[in-house]
Amino acid sequence: MKVSYFSPMPPERSGIADYSALLLPALRRRLDVQVVRRGRTRHARGTDLSLYHVGNNPDAHGWIVDALRRRPGVVVLHDFVLHHLVAGLTIGRRDGHGYLDAMEREGGVVGRLLGHGVLDKRIPPLWESRPQEFHLAGEVLGLATGLVVHSRYVEERARGAGFDGPIWRVPHPAWPVPPIEPARIEGDPLVGSFGNLNSSKRIPQLLEAFARLRRDRPNARLLLVGATSPGFDLDRRLQRLGLSDEGILREDYVDERRLWALMAACDVCVNLRAPTMGETSGSVVRQLSLGKPVIVSDVGWFAELPDEVALKIPVGDGEVEALHAALELIARDGGVRAAMSRSALDLAEREHGLEHVAELYASALEQAAGGEAVAKAVLGEIAASAGEVGIEPGSPEATELARRLAEVELGR
Amino acid sequence: MRIAVCAPQVPFVHGGAEIFTDTLVAELRERGHETELVTIPFKWYPGTKVLSQAFLWRLADLEESNGAPIELVIATKFPSYCVRHPNKRVWVLHQFRQAYELDRTDLGQFSEEPADRALRRSVQRLDRVALGEAKRLFATSQNVADRIERSTGLAAEVMPHPPQELPYRCEEYGDFILSVNRLDRAKRIDLLIEAAALDPALRVVIAGEGPDRERLEKIARERDLNGRVEFAGRADEGELASLYARCLAVYYAPVDEDFGMVPFEAFLSRKPVLTTHDAGGPLEIVSDRRTGLVTAAEPPALAEAAGWLREHRAEAEAFGSAGHALAARVTWDSCIERLLS
Repeated sequence: MKVSYFSPMPPERSGIADYSALLLPALRRRLDVQVVRRGRTRHARGTDLSLYHVGNNPDAHGWIVDALRRRPGVVVLHDFVLHHLVAGLTIGRRDGHGYLDAMEREGGVVGRLLGHGVLDKRIPPLWESRPQEFHLAGEVLGLATGLVVHSRYVEERARGAGFDGPIWRVPHPAWPVPPIEPARIEGDPLVGSFGNLNSSKRIPQLLEAFARLRRDRPNARLLLVGATSPGFDLDRRLQRLGLSDEGILREDYVDERRLWALMAACDVCVNLRAPTMGETSGSVVRQLSLGKPVIVSDVGWFAELPDEVALKIPVGDGEVEALHAALELIARDGGVRAAMSRSALDLAEREHGLEHVAELYASALEQAAGGEAVAKAVLGEIAASAGEVGIEPGSPEATELARRLAEVELGR
Repeated sequence: MRIAVCAPQVPFVHGGAEIFTDTLVAELRERGHETELVTIPFKWYPGTKVLSQAFLWRLADLEESNGAPIELVIATKFPSYCVRHPNKRVWVLHQFRQAYELDRTDLGQFSEEPADRALRRSVQRLDRVALGEAKRLFATSQNVADRIERSTGLAAEVMPHPPQELPYRCEEYGDFILSVNRLDRAKRIDLLIEAAALDPALRVVIAGEGPDRERLEKIARERDLNGRVEFAGRADEGELASLYARCLAVYYAPVDEDFGMVPFEAFLSRKPVLTTHDAGGPLEIVSDRRTGLVTAAEPPALAEAAGWLREHRAEAEAFGSAGHALAARVTWDSCIERLLS
């Protein structure tokens, strides 16, 4: 079976490009996969099915939506909120009307009016200020013949948005842990945060909770790995909280090897997020593969992590206190750290193992490509037999047959 | 207790699975349970027949019979475990192997066409639902349990079943290797015949019938084996026990077999088993140089192993005795107690 595969690919710097680079070799052991060159919107000759990786970044995914418009297919929905993507596909291409239409489709007249506000620069861009209120996933969902998602959260949001096609939940694959030595960084405990430094990653709350932790544990250190987002004044915040160079370690962009070494050195990794766009975190998956205890926000995909591997922090009131308590627990209790570590390793292998994930992908794609023909043939045969013995369509007997078929997921 | 044992029936085919279900029914009756064997014919080809025929089980109403409740159903082999019942227990002998480990092999059924690929996935989905409904799920071997876990995420308890009742005994460690199996390509009896062609001292007796007989006989003729390979056909219980009693060792090397009763039968006759590294389930009880010999699935390796046993009869006897100790622990009493608990 031949699949045309639309995705950002390395050397493009994107989490989804890394994801595809990881997944493809394992998927190719199961299916004939043709990766379509960036910018091309035609599928490969002889394709049975097209697969589109869609995320919220218009630079990385705009061309993929263009291809999806040419030929509907299965969409891997990496983010549920696609407002930034849609803004790029419309406003970014001088198509203000397209943006207004997308806003109206989702938000009615109010949405359209807000769209005008954005176009007229009367209000800040909604994809920055309130993206979670207008996901703008409608067009992509309308074109998708099936969805691959990574979380129950995205599945439920897609259903809530009216998507009634098949949805396959497939875990994010885990990278094999490279042979690395943990970076030599002191800290008791050493707390790690990986990713851009900004408000939606709850860095202000993390800094505050860490400052409290350090009052009782002067040897605690916080490792911040990632670029500071524009407008986020990290230095001022550190100064205000009295967090000195001694307690904070910073690294901006790091290569893959250094990233693993830094993660491996941590006692615990903090991955907060609010609001969520429905995304998963490749960083958390890496941390699980290393057997690291993780602290996450109690939202979206993060909330679905088993309690054995993740301490979950509610967003909003009491957030700093809960985070401080979680950090203190990890710092204090070696038994908890060890148990979480074992559970993380087990989860990474069981749920996120590459071969397992590739098998789930192959299963989803094979069902997407041929499932309808199978369902039709089975239903046809059963309906014909039923008809031969006088069971009429719509009769109670036919309803019973349909119920039994649905029970075992036949006939769809 | 009123119990329905469910098993598919492939008309005109009778093998280990059928012996197993017949015995299970008899053993349950012996323990005072009102037990009936329920079967539905099964044809798995062409195309989507595998699903529409499996669906017949879904329409069977086994909650009661003739006004009296059926308290328990025990399903065994695909697709009988698709049956609905509030107290369904499944003792999995086989899933539909063409949808699993036999896929994309010579023994597979599904092509690379999208509809065929999707059909295979539908069988797997059906398994996931039907096995997931079971109140208790048993597998006859670790091999079967592992496959269920991989394909459905369900955990099955491993419970091997005892072999058929025969007057098992050991009379001698004779001059022939015995194959007991259905004559089917997947059982790889051709490897043993090819081994006999390589070793002029190797004698083979092949018990069983099946669709591969003609091909196997042709191989034997072409290799000019001067009667050293004997096709015994379907042996009755007395003949089979006698063959076990007199042979040197028993050959059993299907491809990634789920379980198979033959090694247990060999062990109860105190005979070692000759098998291959890729035989699957049998390797759970056949350990190299403890209860038999495990070789590469190649005629020269099998010929060498058979020759070694011929020249080391004391070891053959020791392996067979070690196997006997293992097989003696698997009893119907213990199986039925677990099944009904």
